[in-house]
Amino acid sequence: MENVENEIRGLIAEIIEKEPSEITPEAKFFEELGVDSMMALEILTAVEKKYKIVIPEEKLTQLTTLSDTVRVAKEYLEKKAV
Amino acid sequence: MYNIEEIQKILPQRFPFLMIDRIIELEPGAKVVAIKNVSVNEEFFSGHFPDAPVMPGVLIIEAMAQASIMLFAGAKPEQAAKKYSYYLGNVKIKFLNPVFPGDQIRITVVPVKLISTGGIVNVTAQVSDKEVARGELSISVKEN
Repeated sequence: MENVENEIRGLIAEIIEKEPSEITPEAKFFEELGVDSMMALEILTAVEKKYKIVIPEEKLTQLTTLSDTVRVAKEYLEKKAV
Repeated sequence: MYNIEEIQKILPQRFPFLMIDRIIELEPGAKVVAIKNVSVNEEFFSGHFPDAPVMPGVLIIEAMAQASIMLFAGAKPEQAAKKYSYYLGNVKIKFLNPVFPGDQIRITVVPVKLISTGGIVNVTAQVSDKEVARGELSISVKEN
């Protein structure tokens, strides 16, 4: 599952145009990485596409760091596996 | 399905920036097909280009964006009923063929993800059976 973190880091890096190394697990998207609401939606959609999951809109506000995003993705990946 | 009067109830854009003329298909939240008739009388042709009129690609994107608003409005009518400003975020469009006076552009929009404050959509534009542009747009919607 560590792989998931690296994969999502790569997706985010591409969307927000930063080096993957800048996207540490706890770096705050909005305050530290310059993410805006549109990019957040793109991150959510990229994660959905990558893992073929559907993440509801309510979760969007929870995606504030890489580790949060990985947690939400894993939650829905597990649901999908059931 | 939606004529220009009905389109204007939803789109805030007006002359000379209304870039779609008709909606011929609308499946709420699933698909919109819009028509843009390109006339030689369009103002932009006088400068783009004086001796060789070609529709500017950015205006094809604008037409795609307006069709996307129609998709959003069909999916979220309670949202669209309020007064909104619409913004484009990410624009990933490839232009495949030029558009000339007399062409009718048929724009098809399907959602990738729609939420209450915007969305990401896949868009294609065709003239007859030839694709002229395609790609992905993200739009965001802010209440005035």
